[in-house]
Amino acid sequence: MESYLRYLSENSTELIFYAQQHFLLVGYSVGLASVIALALALLLHTNQLTPPSWRRSLRVGGRETSLLLASAALTIPSLALFGILQPLLGLGVTPSIVALTLYAIYPVLRNTLAGLSSVDPAVLEAARGVGMGPVRRMLRVQLPLAWPVIISGIRVAVLIVISIAVVAAIINGPGFGKPLQDGLARLGAVNSFNEVITGTLGCLVVAACYEIVFVVVRRLTTPRGIRV
Amino acid sequence: MSETVQSPIDSTHRSGQRPMIALEGVSKTYPKQSKPAVAELNLQVPEGAIVTLIGPSGCGKTTILKMMNRLIEPTTGRILLAGEDVTDVNGDQLRRRIGYVIQQVGLFPHLTIGDNIAVVPKMLGWDKRRVASRVDELLHLVGMEPDDFRDRYPRQLSGGQQQRVGVARGLAADPPVMLMDEPFGAIDPITRERLQDEFLEVQRQVAKTICFVTHDLSEAVKLGDRIAVFAARGRLAQYDTPSEVLAHPADDFVTEFVGSGAAVRRLSLLEINLLELEEIVISGAGAAGKDHPVLSVDGAGHPSAWQHLPGSEHLPPLVTVPLSGTVYDAVDVMLDGRAPVVVVVDDNGQPRGALHWEALVADLRTKGQPR
Repeated sequence: MESYLRYLSENSTELIFYAQQHFLLVGYSVGLASVIALALALLLHTNQLTPPSWRRSLRVGGRETSLLLASAALTIPSLALFGILQPLLGLGVTPSIVALTLYAIYPVLRNTLAGLSSVDPAVLEAARGVGMGPVRRMLRVQLPLAWPVIISGIRVAVLIVISIAVVAAIINGPGFGKPLQDGLARLGAVNSFNEVITGTLGCLVVAACYEIVFVVVRRLTTPRGIRV
Repeated sequence: MSETVQSPIDSTHRSGQRPMIALEGVSKTYPKQSKPAVAELNLQVPEGAIVTLIGPSGCGKTTILKMMNRLIEPTTGRILLAGEDVTDVNGDQLRRRIGYVIQQVGLFPHLTIGDNIAVVPKMLGWDKRRVASRVDELLHLVGMEPDDFRDRYPRQLSGGQQQRVGVARGLAADPPVMLMDEPFGAIDPITRERLQDEFLEVQRQVAKTICFVTHDLSEAVKLGDRIAVFAARGRLAQYDTPSEVLAHPADDFVTEFVGSGAAVRRLSLLEINLLELEEIVISGAGAAGKDHPVLSVDGAGHPSAWQHLPGSEHLPPLVTVPLSGTVYDAVDVMLDGRAPVVVVVDDNGQPRGALHWEALVADLRTKGQPR
C-alpha cells in the first residue's frame, strides 16, 4: 500500500495527464456521437421534412435501419475495430475518437428516439392545434420534453465509452489505456501491478467526474415543470 | 308540453345571422378507405353562437371539427371563415386565428401556466407587456388568481383547473372562433357541471363563435344555442335549437338518439320566469278568495306554510324554487318534497306565484299567450 502511494506521488504529473486525456477523449467521442444521433433522430422525427407520400415508410424504415447499424457498430469487438481503423486513419487520437464515436451512437440514438416518441400525443396535438409548425413543435415542445430521456442515454454512452477507451492504447490512443496495457504486458515486473491498478482506478475517477458533470447539466437543462 | 312554450326559449336572439364558419360540400375520405368518413357536408355556424356537434361515436363529429381548422385536410369542398375562403391558406397561420381546446387539455408540461397561455400571442409577435397583461386578464376570466397560478406548472393543477387553463390558452389571442373537442369529457360530473356554468358565463362576456363536440346530450342541450346531430358518415341529421331537436326530432335516427328522456330534458330548457304562474294570496292580506292558494309568510315576507289550497283537503309541505331556475328544478323539488305544488320565490325570497304539478303535465302557459 505504501509503495503504491509512493508510485502515485512519483508519477502524479503523468497520471493527471492521463486522466485529462481520458476525460477529453470520452468527451469528444460522446459529444460527436450525440450530435450525430440527435441530428438523425430529429430528422427522422420531424414531420413534413420529407415528402408526404413516403413520410411514414421513410420514418419507420430510417428509424429501424439507423438503430440496426448503430447496434451493429456496438457489437464489433473493440479490439478488432481499432485494428480495422488503423490502416485507414493511422495511429493516435483521430482513429481513437472515430472508433469510440461509433460505439457511443447507439445508446444516444436509442434513447433520443424513445424519448421523442414518449411525448404525450395530446400535447403534440395541442401544439399543432395552436398553430405551431413542425420545426417549432420539435424544438419548443417535443425536444424539451424528451430531454431527460436523451440525457440519460448520453450518460450511458459515457459510461460505456470510458471503459472501451482503454483499448485505444493499442493504436497509441490517449488515456488510461496506456498504463493499463503497459502493466499487463510486463506483469510481474517492477510497478507493473501498480500500473494496472492505476489504469482501472483512473477509469473510475473519470466516471465519477462525469457523474458530477451530469448531475449539474441535468439540473441546469431540464425544464422545471418536468423535473422529478 | 305543447308548442306554446317554444318561442320564448328559442335562442336565436343570442346569436347573429352572418355565418362565421361555413362548410360547403366538405368531404373527407381517409387514405386506403373506400367510403368517406364525412360526405358532402354543408354547415353554417352563425356568429356569436355556440353550436354543439353531437352524434354516436364514429359519426365523424371530431373529424368535422378538425376540418374547420384544417388539422384534418378535407378531400373536397370549401371552408369559409367569416366569409374568407381558408381552404388553401397556410394551416399553421390559420390555427393561430382559431382557438382550440381538447379533452386531454394538452398543456405543455415544461412551461408555466402563464407561458402556456402566452404561446399563441408570442407566436403572433405581441410585445411582452401586452402578453403579460393578457395572461392575467384571461386567468381572471377563468376564475384563477393570476398571482397564485401564473408561475405554477400544469402538473400542480387539478384536472378542472387544467381545463380552465386550456380554455384560457384557446382564448389567448382573442380569436373570433373557438373549436372545442369534448373539453369537459374527462372531468368528474360535479366539476363538469361547474365548468359548464363558468363556460357559459365566460361566453356571455367574450361572445365567441364556438363549435363544441360532445357525446353527452345534456351537455349539448345545456350549452348549445343550436345542436347539430350527426348520423354515421357525417350525415347532418338535424341542425336546430335544442328545444326543436328535443320536441321535433327530424327523423327516426334523431328520435332514437335523443331517446326517451327528451321530454324531461326539455324541462331544463324552460326558465320559470318565462311562465305565467298561478296567483297566490298572502294570508291576512284580505280578499282571501277561495279559488286562490293562500300562503302565510314570516316577518321578512318569506313563505312559511300553506294556509289553503283550492280543491285540496290535506295541505302539502311547503317547497320553494327560485324564479331564476328552470322547470326541471321545480319538478326536482316537488318530487323531493312530495308536494304537488311549489312556491316560486324571487331573489329576495318573496313569493311570486305558484306552479302546480297538474299544470306541468297539462299545458304550461308562457307569458303573453292567451289562455
